[in-house]
Amino acid sequence: MRRRKRMLDELDQDIRDHIERETQDNVARGMPPEEARRRAFLKFGNVSRVKEETRKVWTFVWLEQLLQDLRFALRMLRKSPGFTAVAVLTLALGIGANTALFSMVDWVTLRVPPVAKPNQIATVMAEDISGGYDNGFSYPDFADIRNQSAAVFSDVAGTIIFAQDGLSADGNNEPIWTNYVTGNFFELLGVKPALGNFIEPVSGHSLDSEPVLVLGYAYWKTHFGGDPHVIGKNVLINGHPVIIIGVAPKGFRGIISLLDTQGYLPLGMAAVTSDAKNDFATDRKNGSVMIVARLKPGVKLGSAQPVLKVIGQRLAAQYPASDKWKSLLGVAFGPMSAGSDPQSDAVVKVVSALFLILAGCVLILACLNVANLLLARASGRQREMAVRAAVGGARSRLIRQLLTESLLLALLGCVGGIVLGLLASRYMSSINLHMSVPLILDFQFDWRVFVYAFSVAALTALLVGIAPALRATRGDLNNLLHESARTATVGSLRARSVLVVAQVGGSLMLLIVAGLFVRSLQNVDHANLGFDPGNVLNFTMDPHQTGYNQAQAQEFLKNLLPRVRALPGVETASLAATVPMGGIHLGAELKINGYQLRKGESAPHPGYNAVSPQYFNTMRIPILRGRNFLDSDNKKSQYVAVINEVMAEKYWHGENPIGRHFAWANEPQHPVEIIGEVKNSRTAHVTGTYEPYMYVPLAQRYDYELPVTLQLRTSLPLAAMNHEVVSTIQSLAPAMPVFDVQTMTAALDTTNGLLLFQFGAGLAASLGFLGLALAVVGVYGVVSYGASQRTHEIGIRMALGAEPAQVLRMIFEQGLFIVGGGIIVGILAAAAIARLAGNLLVGVAALDPLTYITASLLLAAIALLASYIPARRAMKVDPMVALHYE
Amino acid sequence: MSTQEQKRRFELLQGTLDLLILRTLLFGPAHGYAIAKTIEFQSDDVLQVEQGSLYPALHRLIKRKWLSVEEGTSENNRRAKFYGLTAKGRKQLAVETTKWDSIAGAIARILRPAGEEGES
Repeated sequence: MRRRKRMLDELDQDIRDHIERETQDNVARGMPPEEARRRAFLKFGNVSRVKEETRKVWTFVWLEQLLQDLRFALRMLRKSPGFTAVAVLTLALGIGANTALFSMVDWVTLRVPPVAKPNQIATVMAEDISGGYDNGFSYPDFADIRNQSAAVFSDVAGTIIFAQDGLSADGNNEPIWTNYVTGNFFELLGVKPALGNFIEPVSGHSLDSEPVLVLGYAYWKTHFGGDPHVIGKNVLINGHPVIIIGVAPKGFRGIISLLDTQGYLPLGMAAVTSDAKNDFATDRKNGSVMIVARLKPGVKLGSAQPVLKVIGQRLAAQYPASDKWKSLLGVAFGPMSAGSDPQSDAVVKVVSALFLILAGCVLILACLNVANLLLARASGRQREMAVRAAVGGARSRLIRQLLTESLLLALLGCVGGIVLGLLASRYMSSINLHMSVPLILDFQFDWRVFVYAFSVAALTALLVGIAPALRATRGDLNNLLHESARTATVGSLRARSVLVVAQVGGSLMLLIVAGLFVRSLQNVDHANLGFDPGNVLNFTMDPHQTGYNQAQAQEFLKNLLPRVRALPGVETASLAATVPMGGIHLGAELKINGYQLRKGESAPHPGYNAVSPQYFNTMRIPILRGRNFLDSDNKKSQYVAVINEVMAEKYWHGENPIGRHFAWANEPQHPVEIIGEVKNSRTAHVTGTYEPYMYVPLAQRYDYELPVTLQLRTSLPLAAMNHEVVSTIQSLAPAMPVFDVQTMTAALDTTNGLLLFQFGAGLAASLGFLGLALAVVGVYGVVSYGASQRTHEIGIRMALGAEPAQVLRMIFEQGLFIVGGGIIVGILAAAAIARLAGNLLVGVAALDPLTYITASLLLAAIALLASYIPARRAMKVDPMVALHYE
Repeated sequence: MSTQEQKRRFELLQGTLDLLILRTLLFGPAHGYAIAKTIEFQSDDVLQVEQGSLYPALHRLIKRKWLSVEEGTSENNRRAKFYGLTAKGRKQLAVETTKWDSIAGAIARILRPAGEEGES
């Protein structure tokens, strides 16, 4: 290309020089200048033609041929608009499903936060002795790891992610999700502020507790109207004054790109805004500091692992009581790396792979359909090709021509697919998550999605184009030219039947997987959650955001309950530290009297919830033995607990646990007496086995830094209660933030709850029905084409006395063969792929016979119907017409 | 039809012109004008080539890598492009010359068939 430009650039000059010389020569020979010039031009010839000829030398022949091919292809496609429309729409559906899905996978697994050189950044994770992974470190551990890893890391920052705080500005109190970060956090990530300054490193790595706040970009826009004068503004975080010093850049949402961090505070402020933790800097047992490190230039993550391992083992040996680690490991920085361990990462990847495979199947089905259409056209055009070959068209040239046609189809399909995919992902992004957590569903179409779509389209063009192109251009010219079009197609019909068998098989697979998901969603919906979410309303409050201390918070809650219970329409009202399937889950280590740990078994560590009296009535969790909590169960009385069935079975072996005792590992001075046993109910996940779980009175174990949820059972709708309940709360505490106001049923639709299943089922179902539609088109197409190709034969048979029913059977049999073969293929494929979905299925086996049979019958019925229509048409053929055909 | 014929004649001319250019450059690189003059001179003005058609031919030969181009200064101190034979071009000249000789020989035999027969 560059050579061509250079050569042509100087052409004008060369020609001018040439003529100039000739002129001078002529002058030297004694001509007058005018005449000399005229002669020179005459001798040179037509200057512009010479230029054109020369330029032509450098043009690309293939480019011109491509344009020629494209023009021809466009003409061919315009000549059969029906075929073009069906083919483009089919491809658009296939590519659209793929791009939409890819944009989701891209969001979950590929899109890295906008930081400098993300491949140099790693997060650090501890592998526990018990085999689990933990990325929350205490501050002293963080400091030790930072100080000991200087050989491989150029910088190490610490951050507490997703603290739920309250921000008061101009008299309004709003929840804000914050990160507490060390001073080098932004510098390490290479992020520049959109406005003002960032939190800056303090000398000597001391714990920075300057009262400053950096706002997240989106929060600044929504809560401060994007006001640039926000810098220097005094606001309160949980009642403590801080100054806003800066705004994070647009698009930077913190280190987990799936969640939007709304504010950043210095790490040391964690000890101020929650004043109970004044031993934050020294307490090695507690802490949730995440470690983000930048590798030294030239150091690979792999070579940092041994160093981390040594540090981990050293610290574990030094502080065996708190650092129960097997090892430390670095995790490459990704969209979710900060929040995930290798195990859940793998789950995400498997699920992503599953859906990409399913979407890929839809695309393959679409390709098969289009290939089928093209094959039909190819056999029709075999003679055209033969003629073109006979007059000197090289075979490669003809193949290129046909491939250009399919490429054009694929490109049109690609454009349509991108539009469909955009619509689909817009829709998915707009799904309301009913969550207070600022989860960003941002299925954008970035360059990766476009690259993906275009490579899918190019591959499609090759896939659908190559076989028909080879077929159309194949063969002995002489034979082809003498054969009739009719006989030339028998081979291609067989090929097409095989394609349709694959197609029916593929769509059956999609249908079965869709069926499994839908069945599992049904199971989840009907699943015995163990509690009754109907008619329960949730109001979450966070006393510590208003600056309350423990005593004030407890006093407030104590006064609140009677007032709410007195409201008209309220059956029962109770408080709980956590709600099922919510964002927060509590758990604690216990010492259980009389329970012998088996070898290798870790100490009892059940999940728990702190609740007020009437909780079990509000949630309708049946009490099997013992009693409910009472107002008299308070700090001064005997500490008590209610446990679930699994916990009773596990630690008291099914004996009556009432009256037995245990102690919190970190509070051995208060023995806890078990006063009741309740039925198992879902707490953290809607699936899986039940785990040991217990309930304790909010009055006895309450962490005022956590939000607390008021739950009430009422037959009135949320809209009718909302105002009264909120005003009752705020009559007691005017600045109390009330959020997550929703029905318990809506609260279940979180990522922990039903959302994932609804999402998965919806996605799988849409893919399944897409596949079904494509299969119907395919079966109908091949059978009716086959029938039309055999019109002549049918005519002869009928003329010789064949009954219409026999003809019907003959054509129908072809459909039967396709459907039968397809079902076998489909069941095998589904059995293979459904194993991947295992984790997402609830109460339904990967090989659930009911789903397999129903899906097969459904597909068979529809496919046979699709082949019955052309068979009937064939039956009605008039022998005379058929014989005169052609 | 007439364009078709023109094209054919041009092609015929083209092959000849290519050969003449290669032949001219056998004695060393030269600039465009010098090549045109040499062809004119050596053929005693019999081959009246339109000088302009030299340029497409030169570019064609460069694209085939039979010629190389260098910037240089001409005898009267002007910047000019000097075209020279590449190794490939040299080989091609031998091939083309042989081809030309056999064609010329064949044409000569056709034009004087009696004389040839008489000699054999």
